[in-house]
Amino acid sequence: MLKAKRATIFLYLLPLIATITLINLWPILYTFYLSLTNYTLFNSDNYKLIGLGNYQKLIFTANSDLFFVIGQTLLYVAICVALFLIVGMASALALNNPKIKGLAIWRVALLVPYAVPSAISALVWKFLFNDDFGPINQITRLFFGPNAGVPWLSAPWGTFTAVVIVNVWLTYPFFMVVILGALQSVPQELNEAARVDGANGLQRLVRVTFPLLWPAITPVIILSAITTFQMFNTVYLINKGGPYTSADKPGFTNFVMIYEYNNILGANVANPHYAFIAAFAIVLFIILGSLTFLSQALARPRSREGMA
Amino acid sequence: MSEQIIKASTSSEAVSAGALAGTRQHAREDVHVTTMRRRVVSGFGLALVYLFLIAMVIFSLFPIYYVVQASLAGGQNLYTTDLHILPAQPTFDNYIYAFTQLPILAWIGNTFLICTATTAIGLIFSLTGAYALSRFRFQGREMGLGLLLAVQAFPALLALPAYYLLLNALGLINNLIGLILIYTAGTLVFGCWNLKGYYDTLPVELEQAAMLDGASITQAFIRVTLPLVTPAIAASAIFMFLAGWNEYALANLVLNSNATGSNLTFVLGLFGLQGDFRTPWGYFAACSVIISVPLILLFLYIQRFFQSGLTIGGVKG
Repeated sequence: MLKAKRATIFLYLLPLIATITLINLWPILYTFYLSLTNYTLFNSDNYKLIGLGNYQKLIFTANSDLFFVIGQTLLYVAICVALFLIVGMASALALNNPKIKGLAIWRVALLVPYAVPSAISALVWKFLFNDDFGPINQITRLFFGPNAGVPWLSAPWGTFTAVVIVNVWLTYPFFMVVILGALQSVPQELNEAARVDGANGLQRLVRVTFPLLWPAITPVIILSAITTFQMFNTVYLINKGGPYTSADKPGFTNFVMIYEYNNILGANVANPHYAFIAAFAIVLFIILGSLTFLSQALARPRSREGMA
Repeated sequence: MSEQIIKASTSSEAVSAGALAGTRQHAREDVHVTTMRRRVVSGFGLALVYLFLIAMVIFSLFPIYYVVQASLAGGQNLYTTDLHILPAQPTFDNYIYAFTQLPILAWIGNTFLICTATTAIGLIFSLTGAYALSRFRFQGREMGLGLLLAVQAFPALLALPAYYLLLNALGLINNLIGLILIYTAGTLVFGCWNLKGYYDTLPVELEQAAMLDGASITQAFIRVTLPLVTPAIAASAIFMFLAGWNEYALANLVLNSNATGSNLTFVLGLFGLQGDFRTPWGYFAACSVIISVPLILLFLYIQRFFQSGLTIGGVKG
């Protein structure tokens, strides 16, 4: 450790402390304060503290938006992460096959989705999913007649499927590269030994390779689950969280961040209830905070296990 | 692990002993049949692998191919319900329109400016902060580290009204600096943790030796440790640069489009092109290609540097 004057230490920390306090901490505290009031756009001059009323309304109202929105988000996270893993694993195993020729070309072709800015990819996919002029429905019509085609962006499950596909397209290259790296560190001797013992390809994969991959994959799964839970950009750019099935229900792909945004800046909200939405934000913060600390605690012993 | 290997080698001895016991003729026929079968099976397996790879390449590249061909289709050619693999009369009209009628260069310039400034400020603030957290012991250090972690769990998007109020008070609404401030704050925690972790791996004796020779702490910080943390700086810089790259919500909160839209980032600009009813898909496609192509080329150039790890890639949003 270095010995330094208090003033020096303070000077080094000052930019960090000032920025974090003003731009990270203050907004959190202000949001918490808002959540205890009855602040809306129309009473911004004479709002007052009302205690925990917003939280009560958020959590204990029958058919509260909170549970619908969190449920949709968790479903999205579960499906996306499972597909990242399956598609990424399959691609990595295919590329790891020593008999494949032209490895470099395949690899680059599969990595390209990663190079496009994700916001542009989302908007391009929105174009591809267009009900009338999009190529996906054009191809469907080519094979199944002029009346075929899926109303991707106007049907609830159509949009849900679309945002899953786009997210898989965006993220599987990352999983592929991580798994490929882990695969290459699996010692060949183990597979050879299992082969000699009479294990077939599938058994070797499930019993020998997979257990050795988990330590590398677990942190990536946790990380991507948390990012997908907080996903805003891709989903919003594709359909703004829609489609809406009724006026007083959140849209079908209103995942947590999109719900938050739409209730503050959305075109359909005449009188944003800032206080109520602040309570929603604080509940989310508690969930995300616990997840962060939990994943920190989980990641440590796992990595030690991986080294043994 | 070693146990497994020993077990495996003993059983392979048993197998070879068994093979020796059989007649030579019989063994040869057996081997012939099994290699034949294995070759057919593995040939079939290999074909399946190739088939899968081709499907994945189509999945990966189709959007890119489609948007490129759409950018070359002129006028109303895209408003058809039939599929066209190639544009009937390819033309550069959309590109000419994008460069002359749309502020696409301003969008790219604004985005670069915001991301570069975010990276520069974020690096300076997190380098000094991380250095202090790693090298000095002071009251509240542990608490500060825990607080950083907690703050990180709060996405800026959850506090839109607070940010609006804050930037309004500072006079930074509709100002790129306002956006730079928010993005910087969002990247500081990651940068700090990342750099602190790296500083922790450097022996403090390096600086102690320099200080014995008469260097001040600041000289030790800049001339001794800074050159040694460049790998961590590079990783943090990429993360910081990409933090605002694709961002829509906060940019939309802070920036209000002017008459031509020349004060926007490219995400806002492109999204604005997609009207709710009639989108000029051709212009949109041309703009997307103009922005993406340099980035794809850059990516193809640097991707060989992260052949297996790609841990720095984990930061893409």
